[in-house]
Amino acid sequence: MENQEIKVQVNHLTKRFGDLLVLDDVSFNIKKGEFVCIVGPTGCGKTTFLNLLTRLIEPTEGEILIDGEPADPKKHSISFVFQEPSAFPWLTAQQNIEYGLKIKKRPAEEIAAQTEKIISLLGLEKYRHAYPHEMSVSMEQRVVIGRAFALNPDLLLMDEPYGQMDIKMRYYLEDEVVRLWKATGSTVLFITHNLEEATYLAERVLVLTNKPAKIKANIEVDLPRPRKVSDPEFIRIRKEITEMIKWW
Amino acid sequence: MKKNRSQARDIMLSVISILLLVAVWFLVSGSRPDFFPTPMATVERFIRLIEKPIMGVSVFGHVLASLRRVMLALIASIILGIGIGLVMGWNKKVRAAINPILMALRPIPPIAWIPLIILMFGVDEFPKVLLVFIGSFFPIVMNTMSGVALVDDMYLKVGKIYKAKTWQMLRHVVFPAAMPTILAGIKIAISSGWMVVVAAEMLSSRSGLGFLINRGRDSYDVALIMVAMILIGVVGALLSAVFTLIERKMCGWMSKE
Repeated sequence: MENQEIKVQVNHLTKRFGDLLVLDDVSFNIKKGEFVCIVGPTGCGKTTFLNLLTRLIEPTEGEILIDGEPADPKKHSISFVFQEPSAFPWLTAQQNIEYGLKIKKRPAEEIAAQTEKIISLLGLEKYRHAYPHEMSVSMEQRVVIGRAFALNPDLLLMDEPYGQMDIKMRYYLEDEVVRLWKATGSTVLFITHNLEEATYLAERVLVLTNKPAKIKANIEVDLPRPRKVSDPEFIRIRKEITEMIKWW
Repeated sequence: MKKNRSQARDIMLSVISILLLVAVWFLVSGSRPDFFPTPMATVERFIRLIEKPIMGVSVFGHVLASLRRVMLALIASIILGIGIGLVMGWNKKVRAAINPILMALRPIPPIAWIPLIILMFGVDEFPKVLLVFIGSFFPIVMNTMSGVALVDDMYLKVGKIYKAKTWQMLRHVVFPAAMPTILAGIKIAISSGWMVVVAAEMLSSRSGLGFLINRGRDSYDVALIMVAMILIGVVGALLSAVFTLIERKMCGWMSKE
């Protein structure tokens, strides 16, 4: 892991809304192709943090570098998966997956190839022409996740994408997101409240403190995949994170 | 199977209710047929109308004349209504500037414009089309504006995340998201335009269904009035049905809730 190049550098990121300090001097790096999970208490400034990363809002201090350059929406691509499914209802599954590629005006062959790859990774061949209203919530969310991965973004941010799913569906989708991540080599920052989910998915877990958010710990999860939630080592790491996050 | 049966039942119910209406018509018209022609007399008048054109124009020519006016006006109001509505829905400043004018003009019924328009433009084709335009423009511009203004923030965020340029945002996010509302506006515009065209033709015209009604009044030909009125109803219903098909085709993605 150490010899991997750094993809995203977050330096001294601080955000104030008037007198309210939401994010306090947050610094961390994400390596190229790394899967990082962020966990933290509810209301710890997570949304602000994400909005800063997507450049929807500007930081008060600090900077975000991608490939060593200041993150620039025009140059870098940052994808985002919201908690609520956000597939466009007027597009089919396939058209939704193509959407980002088309907006970026990628060549037609690339759009076709990339879309096919994602559809087959998701196993959505039969449902490619289905509209979101014909899908379950979880299938719609899978299409949205496919849309985000299809673009091979420099950074893929996922904001509790499985927050609304039941436990069985979550296991299935967690395996799927790992499959997509491996197949596309994307760099993923995944936010969750679920510590088991973080331990299951991440190569590294960043633990945030209560507001104003700071990074409290940086925990490597060096377990082989597929991971087993009953593995003693898995349980040990999960407990370690739980101890850190005991904000109550 | 079940669907077919309920469809057949619905068609049967529609036929029965139309037959009932005709029966009532028979009963009512029986006492004073010169005053209120019977269904038979009306059908006869319709056949005579096909055989003997009025003002050198066949009955279908009159229908087409009315349709042509409505279509011309609709094309203008769709282009202008969607264009202006889009900008108003998207840009709050433009909305603030234009909305009061629209709010003040919208309640004025198209018929109230007639004297002004006749004084300004005479009684040619253009003033009739203009009247229909006034009747059909407002529903389209209002619906487009509110459809665009109410696009789910989530979709806009997705567009922003993918760095869609403004026109891409409008073309690929805002426009399709607002499409059902826009189409609903056009549907209202069609029926309102169809009503206004008859009023415009009743003023002064040598063709159109409104003209036929006037002709019927002037020559005390009540059956002709009935024929024209029924044609107005039938064509209006057909227009609406055709547009519903277009709507379904264009917005097939909408859930059938």
